[in-house]
Amino acid sequence: MSGEPTVYFEDVKVGDEYTSPGRTVTEADIVIFAGLSGDYNVLHTDAEHMKASLFGERIAHGLLGLSIQQGLLDRVVPGQAIGPLASVKWKFKGPIKIGDTIHVLARVTAKKDGDGPTAGVVTVERRVINQRGEVVQEGETDHAVARRPA
Amino acid sequence: MPDPRVERRIYFEDVQMNVPLETPGVTLTETHAALFGSLTLSRPADPGVIPELIPLCMSSGLGWRVPQPPLVVLAFMGFEWRFLKPARVGDTIRSVSKTVAKRSMKEGGVVIEERTILNQRGELVQSGRLTLLVAKRPAA
Repeated sequence: MSGEPTVYFEDVKVGDEYTSPGRTVTEADIVIFAGLSGDYNVLHTDAEHMKASLFGERIAHGLLGLSIQQGLLDRVVPGQAIGPLASVKWKFKGPIKIGDTIHVLARVTAKKDGDGPTAGVVTVERRVINQRGEVVQEGETDHAVARRPA
Repeated sequence: MPDPRVERRIYFEDVQMNVPLETPGVTLTETHAALFGSLTLSRPADPGVIPELIPLCMSSGLGWRVPQPPLVVLAFMGFEWRFLKPARVGDTIRSVSKTVAKRSMKEGGVVIEERTILNQRGELVQSGRLTLLVAKRPAA
């Protein structure tokens, strides 16, 4: 563990905002993700086919964008303030192309009781934004966050 | 005889409703977690735990390992997903999916797929619904 102070459910406030650093999505990211996921759809792997497509070139897997934004947010959220994912509602609004630089804006929008007494549920709204300020992905995630021990 | 160089694909018109499709399994390893961790810089504190996005991401690849030809997906539009049980290194997951709705559009059609991910004990690991934009069959 990093030695950061533990952040409990009680410490998270509705309205808390996080801005991640940026990251440039590369061809290597897409190739590695295709290998890892086994998703070799032509959208992500066939440059010639994609020249004639709506997008004009290969695009990143939507779930690669989702995975990268998760890592970007982990870099700025202290401790376990946003705990393990319980659920996701997500929209892919535009393509992420090779060379695009994305960052994440996140905001805590709700807190509610969880299933048991030891954790609460934190809802986070996220937007993934490219270098032109376009929202390429957005959604809402729920997280189980531990309550401060009595 | 069909030209073997042309990959067989399933278009919007071919999509059948409510026919469950079960994939083969894949065993989740430390290597998957390490590759995913280096790709995303997203890692769980416990090294035996598989990052929760891995089963979701790998389920899209599992869909390519069935005899049925792949859907001609033009775009992945969105999804709703629940993470029900953590996966651990050594678990073997498979997915079962079916189309629960389809809607024709001017360009292509929208297909809603219900997908569940199960482990080797048949326990529900993750599940949800995915919305895909699928191409219509080109005019002959």
